[in-house]
Amino acid sequence: MKSMLLLFAIALMVMAPSNRLQAQSDSPTLIKAGVVITMNGEPLSPGQILIENGKIAAVAAEVAAPDSATVIDLGASATVMPGMVDAYSQTGLGTDGTDEITQEITPDFRALDSVDWDQAATKRQLLVGTTTMCVCPGRQAVISGTAAVIKTAAGEGSVLVESGPLLVNLCNDPTARNRSRSRPDGLYIRQPTNRMGVVWMLRKAFDDAKRDVPGAATEIAEALAGQRSMMVFSRKSHDLRTIATLQDEFGYQPIVVGAQEAYLVKDLLLERKYPVVLEPAGTGGIYGDERSELCWNNAGVLAEAGVPVAISGDELLEQARFAVRFGMSREKALAAVTTAGAEILGIEKRVGKIAEGFDADLVALSGDPMEFTTSIRWVMVDGQVFGMDKE
Amino acid sequence: MLAALLVQPVLAQQSLAIKAGRIITMSGEPIEGGTILIRDGQITAVGKDLEIPVEAKVIDASDKVVMPGFVEAHSTDGMGQANETNPIVPYVSVMDEINPMDPYFQEARRNGITTVAITPGNSTMIGGQAAVLKTGGEFVDSMVLSTDTGIKISLRPVRGSRMSHMAKLRETLDDAKRKMEKKAGKEAKAAEAESEADSNDTERGAGRRGRRRGPQAADPAAQEEEESDDSKEKETKEEKTIESELDKAMFALLSGQLPAIIYCEKAMDVGAALRLIEEYQLKAKLVLGRECYKAAQQVADAKLPVILDPELVFWEEDPRTKEETKVVLPQVYQEHQVPYTFQVGRSNSRSLGRNYLWYQAATAVKYGMPEQQALEALTILPAKFHGIEGLVGSIEEGKDADLVILSGDPLKIDTWVETTIVNGEVVYEKEEDEQLQKMLTGEDQNSK
Repeated sequence: MKSMLLLFAIALMVMAPSNRLQAQSDSPTLIKAGVVITMNGEPLSPGQILIENGKIAAVAAEVAAPDSATVIDLGASATVMPGMVDAYSQTGLGTDGTDEITQEITPDFRALDSVDWDQAATKRQLLVGTTTMCVCPGRQAVISGTAAVIKTAAGEGSVLVESGPLLVNLCNDPTARNRSRSRPDGLYIRQPTNRMGVVWMLRKAFDDAKRDVPGAATEIAEALAGQRSMMVFSRKSHDLRTIATLQDEFGYQPIVVGAQEAYLVKDLLLERKYPVVLEPAGTGGIYGDERSELCWNNAGVLAEAGVPVAISGDELLEQARFAVRFGMSREKALAAVTTAGAEILGIEKRVGKIAEGFDADLVALSGDPMEFTTSIRWVMVDGQVFGMDKE
Repeated sequence: MLAALLVQPVLAQQSLAIKAGRIITMSGEPIEGGTILIRDGQITAVGKDLEIPVEAKVIDASDKVVMPGFVEAHSTDGMGQANETNPIVPYVSVMDEINPMDPYFQEARRNGITTVAITPGNSTMIGGQAAVLKTGGEFVDSMVLSTDTGIKISLRPVRGSRMSHMAKLRETLDDAKRKMEKKAGKEAKAAEAESEADSNDTERGAGRRGRRRGPQAADPAAQEEEESDDSKEKETKEEKTIESELDKAMFALLSGQLPAIIYCEKAMDVGAALRLIEEYQLKAKLVLGRECYKAAQQVADAKLPVILDPELVFWEEDPRTKEETKVVLPQVYQEHQVPYTFQVGRSNSRSLGRNYLWYQAATAVKYGMPEQQALEALTILPAKFHGIEGLVGSIEEGKDADLVILSGDPLKIDTWVETTIVNGEVVYEKEEDEQLQKMLTGEDQNSK
């Protein structure tokens, strides 16, 4: 039974979206822009992109397009970059909450079952240039379920991965609700209420899965065996160290998410080859959630050290811009919102770059993406343009 | 007295010369490769090929850009508590609440803000008196530029309905108006004297010394005035004793001596504010909540100074369809040709850029505000809003030496404030900003 499910899950993860986007016009589109940032070698200046059937058919300084092609000439000052990839998002999960609040360990819950493309927040993500999102269940359970990787525009084939990374929350979020709402003499009592409890529950769940205890969900065993990726959300440096301790005990290869204090343990992250997905950073605070000590250049420090870094959050482009301002290189910052996330999610052959055969996910900008004064003109997902009405 | 002693060195400082790669004067074309000469806290000359006095300390910014220090037109920061529990307190002053040690001021200097109008919060009906301050200094009295800024009025009801809120506000205004008229009628002579004194005030101009607080006023002119105020007070002692503090403040508001700084939360409040302004003949400045964009035409017609909500771009949900539309405030006000300036959101770990005044300007440029206009909105425009354009907001001879030295062109992604100068004194240097270095490197400089 277990192996059957495993096969099924793997089958879903590699599911190739072959005949998607039939609804769209088959007429090819040629986009011309002053600069095309392909993330696949040096930027083209100028550059042209030919799109056919929702895919990038060609990209070069000059592309021979069929006569039937619709031409969109953005002008010399415009820049086109790949649609952005948010490797850790809680947007798009409907409005009835992202957490199961009656259980701590729900590895078989799937975020996909709650994804709502019609939700305003999902549309908003699309219009700010995020074309692919890894939608993750909330952080109030210790093991909260599996993430779904989706396109932000609904359509046939807009699910890239149905049941992807398993989400583990090694932080104080699973304890917060339990502390505030329950009393020892109350009806509602739930562990954990402290960090020791969080780690204890993790150990128990991992141990049960390892020993194949009846009733143990297969997702954990898959993740421990390296057949499914595991995202561990931690902010503080001591939690990041605990990820390593548990790795020694159970042998998994985690993707670290959140990681506000990652700059403090960058050597550990590098040595252990943990890729990092940073939670959104602000510009006004010295302390973050859980009173973590912030470094505004967290992304830059990690990238400099050689740790693979992706940036997540609702305002990816703006996050990347501030990362540049605070010290990250422009190239690394652009990668952090495109290719890095795609690689972490294992979809790097499909999204994150403007290259032949890739999905036609693009962001058209009025100028240099790494300037605060540059605006997004429109966004394309699978060859379909959104937000162009103002043009 | 202590404050007066500490103010002294600022005025007695040596002369200063800044060699700049580019000077964005905001009073004419930028000057490439120019010099700014400063003496006693004021700009004495600006231009090309100026002779630098031998005694002047020279700041070499020849590969940098120099601009007037930024002026923040409205802030409720820098205080312990911006709102009073009692809803009608026109007589309280932010001067008694401002804490120069508040991190706000450090953050302001770090971001090139040299002048700020600090006002009571947006949650008190008649919240008290605002003041314009310089961001450099350790004592509020040495920082203050003007206390003529205005009385904050909020149209947002905190408890109860807008009906009762407006009724109470009108009642207070009517009551004060009646008292003022009565006073004017019965004591026409006294009123005459008063108006003379008023006109003297305006002659002195720009309001800087007009209501400068405290006995520590730094220059002789202000001291003279303090004295004359004293004697005036003696003359009309009887009358003053019957006037309550509340009456005095309300009379200042109704006579136009103090403008009303009116916070409108919703579009409907704009209409209400304009009615009040007309009815009570108030001098007014508008602080507009984000939803007020729907009244942009009314705002345009009123031709009043406008300060936009910190949230310049937001998504608005239709209450019935739940559909969201993106609202870009600079775009709306730009279309209606309303001159506007910015304020910043409160600094916290979640804000992304909105805590920087320059970022607000960059955002407006992103959505179509011409860059020159954006720079004006950071400098000379807010100075005009508060009637202090004779002192700050541009780099001109005779103005206060409030300058910001930038590493590159303003509003660019990697342009940083290198040095901030207030009254000719360096109050911030990036190189020495250990906290910033720690935030940018992750390494504690002290622990090394």
